[in-house]
Amino acid sequence: MRTILTAQFLSLQTFESWSDEHVCERLTVSFHPILTQIYCKAEKFLESVEGNQNYPLLLLTLLEKSQDNVIRVCAAVTFKNYIKRNWRIVEDEPNKVSDADRTAIKANIVNLMLSSPEQIQKQLSDAISIIGREDFPQKWPDLLTEMVTRFRSGDFHIINGVLRTAHSLFKRYRHEFKSNELWSEIKLVLDTFALPLTELFKATIELCQTHATDVNALKVLFSSLTLISKLFYSLNFQDLPEFFEDNMETWMTNFHGLLTLDNKLLQTNDEEEAGLLELLKSQICDNAALYAQKYDEEFQPYLPRFVTAIWNLLVSTGQEVKYDLLVSNAIQFLASVCERPHYKHLFEDQNTLTSICEKVIVPNMEFRSADEEAFEDNSEEYIRRDLEGSDIDTRRRAACDLVRGLCKFFEGPVTAIFSGYVSSMLSDYAQNPGENWKHKDAAIYLVTSLASKAQTQKHGITQANELVNLNEFFVNHILTDLKSPNVNEFPVLKADAIKYVMIFRSQLPKDQLLQAVPLLITHLQAVSTVEHTYAAHALERLFTMRGPNNTTLISPAEMAPFTEQLLNNLFNALAVPGSEENEYIMKAIMRSFSLLQDSIVPYIPTLIGQLTQKLLLVSKNPSKPHFNHYLFESLCLSVRITCKANPTTVSSFEEALFPVFTEILQNDVQEFLPYVFQVMSLLLEIHSNSIPSTYMGLFPHLLQPVLWERTGNIPPLVRLLQAYLEKGAATIASSAADKIPGLLGVFQKLIASKANDHQGFYLLNSIIEHMPTDSITHYRKQIFVLLFQRLQSSKTTKFIKSFLVFINLYCVKYGAIALQEIFDSIQPKMFGMVLEKIIIPEVQKVSGPVEKKICAVGITKILTECPSMMDTEYTKLWTPLLQALIGLFELPEDDSIPDDEHFIDIEDTPGYQTAFSQLAFAGKKEHDPIGDAVGNPKILLAQSLHKLSTACPGRVPSMLTTSLNAEALQYLQGYLQAATVQLV
Amino acid sequence: MPTKNVTDERLGKFKNKGKDPAKLREKRISECVELRKAHKNESFMKRRNVTLSSLPDEEALSPDYSTDTVMVFSIEDIIKEVNSDIKEAQIRGCQAARKLLSQERNPPLKAIIDAGLLSRFVSFLVMDDEPTLQFEAAWALTNIASGTSWHTQQVVESGAVPAFISLLASPMLHISEQAVWALGNIAGDGAASRDILIECSVIPALLARIAPDTPVGYLRNLTWTLSNLCRNKNPFPPLSAIMQVLPSLIQLLHFSDKDILSDACWAISYLSDGENERIDVVVHTGIVPRLVELMGHDELSVMTPALRSIGNIVSGSDLQTQAAVDSGVLNVLPQLMRHPKASVQKEAAWALSNIAAGPCKQIQQLITCGLLPPLVEQLTNGDFKTQREAVWAVTNFTSGGTVEQVVQLVRCGALEAIINLLQVKDAKVILVILDAINNIFMAAEKIGETDKLSLLVEELGGLDRIEMLQNHDNEIVYQAAHALIEKYFCDPDPTLTLNNPTPALK
Repeated sequence: MRTILTAQFLSLQTFESWSDEHVCERLTVSFHPILTQIYCKAEKFLESVEGNQNYPLLLLTLLEKSQDNVIRVCAAVTFKNYIKRNWRIVEDEPNKVSDADRTAIKANIVNLMLSSPEQIQKQLSDAISIIGREDFPQKWPDLLTEMVTRFRSGDFHIINGVLRTAHSLFKRYRHEFKSNELWSEIKLVLDTFALPLTELFKATIELCQTHATDVNALKVLFSSLTLISKLFYSLNFQDLPEFFEDNMETWMTNFHGLLTLDNKLLQTNDEEEAGLLELLKSQICDNAALYAQKYDEEFQPYLPRFVTAIWNLLVSTGQEVKYDLLVSNAIQFLASVCERPHYKHLFEDQNTLTSICEKVIVPNMEFRSADEEAFEDNSEEYIRRDLEGSDIDTRRRAACDLVRGLCKFFEGPVTAIFSGYVSSMLSDYAQNPGENWKHKDAAIYLVTSLASKAQTQKHGITQANELVNLNEFFVNHILTDLKSPNVNEFPVLKADAIKYVMIFRSQLPKDQLLQAVPLLITHLQAVSTVEHTYAAHALERLFTMRGPNNTTLISPAEMAPFTEQLLNNLFNALAVPGSEENEYIMKAIMRSFSLLQDSIVPYIPTLIGQLTQKLLLVSKNPSKPHFNHYLFESLCLSVRITCKANPTTVSSFEEALFPVFTEILQNDVQEFLPYVFQVMSLLLEIHSNSIPSTYMGLFPHLLQPVLWERTGNIPPLVRLLQAYLEKGAATIASSAADKIPGLLGVFQKLIASKANDHQGFYLLNSIIEHMPTDSITHYRKQIFVLLFQRLQSSKTTKFIKSFLVFINLYCVKYGAIALQEIFDSIQPKMFGMVLEKIIIPEVQKVSGPVEKKICAVGITKILTECPSMMDTEYTKLWTPLLQALIGLFELPEDDSIPDDEHFIDIEDTPGYQTAFSQLAFAGKKEHDPIGDAVGNPKILLAQSLHKLSTACPGRVPSMLTTSLNAEALQYLQGYLQAATVQLV
Repeated sequence: MPTKNVTDERLGKFKNKGKDPAKLREKRISECVELRKAHKNESFMKRRNVTLSSLPDEEALSPDYSTDTVMVFSIEDIIKEVNSDIKEAQIRGCQAARKLLSQERNPPLKAIIDAGLLSRFVSFLVMDDEPTLQFEAAWALTNIASGTSWHTQQVVESGAVPAFISLLASPMLHISEQAVWALGNIAGDGAASRDILIECSVIPALLARIAPDTPVGYLRNLTWTLSNLCRNKNPFPPLSAIMQVLPSLIQLLHFSDKDILSDACWAISYLSDGENERIDVVVHTGIVPRLVELMGHDELSVMTPALRSIGNIVSGSDLQTQAAVDSGVLNVLPQLMRHPKASVQKEAAWALSNIAAGPCKQIQQLITCGLLPPLVEQLTNGDFKTQREAVWAVTNFTSGGTVEQVVQLVRCGALEAIINLLQVKDAKVILVILDAINNIFMAAEKIGETDKLSLLVEELGGLDRIEMLQNHDNEIVYQAAHALIEKYFCDPDPTLTLNNPTPALK
């Protein structure tokens, strides 16, 4: 087969010599399951010829005329994909479909779609909506009329085809912004479509009555009704059209009728998949909710009827999963209505409230068998829903929202009603726990949703319903479960109890939390993944809580009795199948280390072994980013805590970690490289001023351009190189001097980028600060030239700020004269230009205390240690520079950013790359290159000015009095006084 | 020391944030497409069967006026009579035609036009010695002009305009009034017809009829016609015409009759619905205080166009807005924000949103006048159309207000209210809210309270909602939601709430 095909490939020279059969074969090939290998070739071939005129028409002919159904479907799919790829006319690109083909396609496709079997109809309908998106309405004016005409065909296969196509054409009205263009289109659609749609709606409902016993007919008719309801939603979304306002009675009366309708024939046996009735009613709930929200004034007369109907619907709908969407939509409708003051009266009656609570809320809070399955077999999904709030469309969430909505006006009565329920459910449980444990689950859920008024990840519930006694409930019903000796009995209730502690942690008194801690530690041993995960999570959250004085609420001393068990249980839980990469447990490990600090030191030798093993394991196939992140954080904490007590232990960490790190580097595990660089930086920074040879061996590899291509590597690599320079500048100069150009190459690459230039400056500043002067002397001028090139090509505020810090650091390190000379050597008078155009006007923008200090000291040196400032044309800049310096001391920072710079970072970050994942516990302390040498830069300025004035008496005071502004002069006098010096 | 300048300049940059402040204001788009039913409160463009105030004794006017039940004319009869040379027949024909045209359902406008009767009617208009015929012909033409645009065009093309303008000067008040009415219908047809009238000097002829002894009823019709002469955009009426009309409109605005006030206010609302230069013309007449006073009028029909006019004026420049503020608009707005009618609340909120787009001095006045509580009430419980305007007010407020002002707004509950509105079914409103939240965060940044605000937003359920919006089908909404999450809800200490170490990709 393959050889034949190849032969045909070669024999096909022109498209004209081609017939249907060729396309046919290609198509059959491309869809035949056994021939997958040829598939790509065939598909490529078809794509290669699709630019020819007639090609799409050929496909249409094929799908219309072929006898072979497989070929027909293939042709339809290929056609749709062709349209998707080629129909849009992109500016400045050639039109990929000839005008003749376009016209012919538009003339035939609606007919063809409507006369095709459903499988093909769907493909063609998609194709029409793609074309419609581009051409409708201007370039396809008769599409709508053509479609509307089909409503009269009486053939519901055709009608549903039209409706489906209309739905895909109109559904964008639901999310697009209002614009004249959009609204003109909608107006046009309404003019041709609204009336026929309404007639069709009425006719279809009548047909449902006449065919009430014919299940097949009903199915088709109900599909139509659902599509019609969807169209109603789209057409009414942007605003209430005049037509629908005038015909509201027809639509709403019928919608209401459909909501209350039931037909045994349409009930499905499937428990999961929603049936036609459910889909239709769901959509009607959405339609009613749309009107209630946006067109309240007009909809008001109908609303009470809908409230009653939807409520009755809820009362009579079962627990099966297939009803979930309907129930959740219906409850959300009630929730949104009951919050509105003018509908308050619909809910006010005690009987109404009781019945909503009893029949709508409580049943939908029950733990269902589907939840039970998820708890046991799909714990990740269960946790995501229950803990992280991805339960948007669930019944429980909707019921919760309804509780909150009702509490807006009826908090007292609702709380009272539910309290009764909670007691009775709890007593059911007490009578027969084995049978009725789900009652207790519902009771806890009810208390939780009733009590919580505001919640955050960081603090749990921050505002509670005062009518609920959380404390009492905790003591009587939660603690008992936590204390039960068998952690594996009723795991759902255990998980509930743990969750209760976790979310109400800010509301419960400390002594009760302390009571819970050892119990939670015990629950880490549970077999149930959800249960031990919740225990880990709860402990982690408790450990982050802050007490008075901003210390942790729970102190390491209070944890001392449980430390060993805590660590043991956490690490053991990581060994339970299914929890090997459990991010909650890993986070709890990290948090425990952070809380316990010194008390973990004795366990570190064991723990570090376990952590590195885990690291080795996950580095084979990193799949859980959170888990990995916390793993590295935990490693950092181990290093910091241990080395703080005894820095010499750093080598034992290096011994343990370097083999794994080497493997990660060698295998280029991209996700982990930024982490590895950070941990290495942390380790290297602990060394006192020398650099072990293991690090030096790695140095050349760190300069490889490929590593610098990935944006996520840049910050940690720069930091690592800075650590190399701080600890090993002398070693680099002596034994790796040939690598200096490579180092500067990195700098050059970084400053060329608007996004990374500040990183380039970090590196450059470290080079200037630490490298022996001689080793970089002959690179200096080149460095300045590069910086000027960047200044000229794209000057940004961020660049200027970094540039200012750099030149002042240079001045501090090499002296003001050296700075002036290097500028003037690039171009005469350059130094003056830099002062006038950059330093004086921009220094106010420098941010950060260390950066400001560097600039202050640098400028002081320029003012007082640079002879050319006193005796040349630069002299006129002396006072302005001094004034700028005083401004830097006294004025608020200028943090304005020019308008054209707001989006720099985006434009410079090409595509998606592994983001830089910063490790909090690898953090380094801020480095001050000037340090204690200058305590107070203002005093330094005063003293330096004093020194200058004694060297050339009379000149300084005269410059000050003639041109320094009065306010600045006043500040300056303050500095002089504080330094107890006088100018002469 | 240039301390002051530095901060002022910075403040300026913060407020505008690179945007032209004028763009922050949501002005009504000219000629925007509407899906809704035409506004129920607006005055009618054309009117049929208006009762003439000055109709003399019916018997004197036409002998068979009250006996119309017996007279049943077919179109053919009418044609014959009208085309007859006998005065009595002509009168009979005109009268029959006018009655036919006055019927409520499907008046045979086209049949009369097709019969070629229009030029005949026009020829009767100039017969000053036949007042009855003049009157009946004028009435018939008025009814035709009240039809569709096509019908009105036919009347214009038949040469009726100059004839009607001449009739304005008729000594018989009811004939003159009939002409006023006809001209009003023509003026209401659109910019083109309106300008034809203006070119034929309709304005001086109309204004000449305003005199101390002009009956109120007549003045009502006249004011309505004047308002139609001010109506319609693309193009606006010529400036010279506006300058002619304005002094009289100002005069009419000081009457006490509610119908006159209503139409005069509508006229002002049309004139102020445009570029700032148009608004200037109105503001310079000094009428703003009176308009503000009329915003508090008991009659909805007066208050609505007065509010619309002031709404238009505060959509103008800061200076124009200040004129309204100085006239006390902010004292009236609170009660209008709480008006029982949703349409009034909406217009008031719209005006407020434009004042909130002004400099922080005006924002301060808005706070001082107690507008924050009603604003939050509307955000929380208002009708959707009002909520939409109120959301704009919050966004404008937060983008131009000082940090203290924004803090005050949040304290009043506006943040909670807009967060609840994030579930609204309108992509634009959602985007505007996200903008407001972003603005509030920028204010929080200035006082180092970003973290506190992040927690507050989360407590109020905002984080959940914003996260959900990352699934929104509208790309721009998705991006705005995503940007907020990235910027303010990924804790800088990733160990505390690291939810998202890798950016979510859609």
